[in-house]
Amino acid sequence: MMSTHAMTIDGNVASRLKGQNRIRLVGLFFACVFLAIAVQLVRIGIIAPMNEEAKIIAEAREHIPRPDIVDRNGIVLATDIAVASLYADPRKIIDIDEAVELITATVPDIDSKALLAKFKTPGKAFVWLKRQVSPEERDAVYNLGIPGVGYVNERKRVYPQGRLSAHTVGYVDVDTKGIAGIERYLDDAGALFTASLTDPGKAAAAPAEIAMDIRVQHAMTDELSKAVTKFKAIAGGGIIMDIQTGEVISLVSLPDFDPNAEAKKIGKDQQNRMLSGVYELGSVIKAVTFAMAFDTGTVNMNSKYDARFPLVIGSARISDFHAQRRVLTVPEIFTHSSNIGTAKMALDVGVEKHKEFLSSVGLFDKLLTEVPETARPLLPKQWGKLVSATAAFGHGFAVQPLQGLSVVAGLLNDGNMVPPTFMRRSKEEADVLAKKIVKASASEALRTLFRLNATDGTASKADVIGYRVGGKTGTAEKVVNKRYSKEHSLTSFIGAFPMDKPRYAILIMLDEPKALPETYGYSTSGWNAVPTASKIIERIAPLLNVTPVFTAADREKLAKLAKAKRG
Amino acid sequence: MLKFVNGILVVAVLVSASALYSLEHKTRGLERQIAKTKALISDDDEAIKLLNAEWSSLTRPERIQSLAETHLKMQPRKADQIVQAGELAQRIPVIAAAAVPQQPADPIDNLLKKMQ
Repeated sequence: MMSTHAMTIDGNVASRLKGQNRIRLVGLFFACVFLAIAVQLVRIGIIAPMNEEAKIIAEAREHIPRPDIVDRNGIVLATDIAVASLYADPRKIIDIDEAVELITATVPDIDSKALLAKFKTPGKAFVWLKRQVSPEERDAVYNLGIPGVGYVNERKRVYPQGRLSAHTVGYVDVDTKGIAGIERYLDDAGALFTASLTDPGKAAAAPAEIAMDIRVQHAMTDELSKAVTKFKAIAGGGIIMDIQTGEVISLVSLPDFDPNAEAKKIGKDQQNRMLSGVYELGSVIKAVTFAMAFDTGTVNMNSKYDARFPLVIGSARISDFHAQRRVLTVPEIFTHSSNIGTAKMALDVGVEKHKEFLSSVGLFDKLLTEVPETARPLLPKQWGKLVSATAAFGHGFAVQPLQGLSVVAGLLNDGNMVPPTFMRRSKEEADVLAKKIVKASASEALRTLFRLNATDGTASKADVIGYRVGGKTGTAEKVVNKRYSKEHSLTSFIGAFPMDKPRYAILIMLDEPKALPETYGYSTSGWNAVPTASKIIERIAPLLNVTPVFTAADREKLAKLAKAKRG
Repeated sequence: MLKFVNGILVVAVLVSASALYSLEHKTRGLERQIAKTKALISDDDEAIKLLNAEWSSLTRPERIQSLAETHLKMQPRKADQIVQAGELAQRIPVIAAAAVPQQPADPIDNLLKKMQ
């Protein structure tokens, strides 16, 4: 277009050189302007959108949405939902009395007097009517059409399973920041894991899967709370752990709390006893001593120890609760839970070696898992002959129940100890993490003793016929006013099933269970913790796909039981 | 000639302007639609989340247990109620065979006998 113009002008006034120059100047000016426009077009049209895309992705990365938490079967344990919060600007309301009347008629739980007082405060520009209302309430109030009344959308973390998952999952504060349990892990130590769940550019995150099975968790909670009520215990707790992978399938600590409640009332009583409490587990620790003695080769199944007289070390006397006053074989020491025998076994291994072994299985260190609330084990400061002898039967040192269970689980798992986890873990991953703590032969001997103790020993009430349970009981006297008290005890049971190839380890603990007429005045583990474990195993074994196997002897026992019931 | 060319150019400008305008109008319409659909999707996402949470809360094992205890005549399964497929043959419960009431005699036979 330009060139045609230029040519025509050229043809008409060819001689005026000056004019030609001026036209060239104008042409150059236009060319520059058009070039500038073209450059700007390219910049806005092509380059800017590319940058903008990058900006959107960057923004999505900055606000990583909180992932849902689901159990191993995909059942929602924690999720975010959108809730509306109603507010009002009193300056914009025309008829305050009418507005208050309408609002309180629609939402009955708003106090009309308080609201009226708030609305009539001069100069007030913002009043919360009600926070976190249901969608129906929100629409109802919004449709009243009162000027100055509106709502804002907020996000709220909810825990549909309530108390059931409270101790493991934890909870968040009002700004949805993790305060306890897995919720805190997702923010702190597990932030990388949390980030891996999100897809950049997308607003949603994949759910975080934890190892818990909510059905097992409920069966445990149900049976444990029945036991706590029945035996008037002040607290109770239990853990189910997969021996091979270290996954904690269930962790119960009673009393618990409601994570959905505004005021959670979490005191010392509601703490997670399985992790943030340390307890003298008593005789269940004998399992560790036995495995150690088998491993070092100082004893075998036929070894004998004299348990006729109390063991005297310095000014201390070690005696037996279920005193037999005779020479006991190793299996008998286990099934009668002889303190004298176990102490002698530990002394035979040697004071230093005993200490070394306990430290190699990690009983001297704080157990670290994803759930941050953990306590350090309480140990005697000086390690001597007496300490070694008493530690052999679980006296004088206190550990977290989960830590105790994970060590016993490792001893039963051919000596391969896997650190416990609350997240999902495959067998392959676990095999890499496993630590060899005893020989396979020592583990096998311990398995035999565990099973024997459940068929003929102190844990005989734990044997659910068919599921091949094995276990060890413990009754520890509690320290009251700095002295061991005979009246206050902590009873526990550590077991595993099915014993021919242990897959699940179980720990049950009752704090200060009382003796009942039906327990013949006993409050030892065999009368409370052990029957509770039996009820739990019977309920959860089918959920965990453990197939019952019956021997001929089992069938006879069952027939006898059925007959006794009918008769 | 020049006038003709200019005329064509003017027409071309008008046509292209109107085409551009209608295209832009259409684009804006589509953009509005995208925004609307996105809002609908996020509403549905929220609804799904809410329903999932509600479902999880309604299928709480403790709730199911209390419902089952009040409304169903069922009890927890015992270990010996679980039978492997291979053992089925040995585990069939023995039920006494239903006794067939014995008839005193065949009525037709009686009739025939009478006739003889």
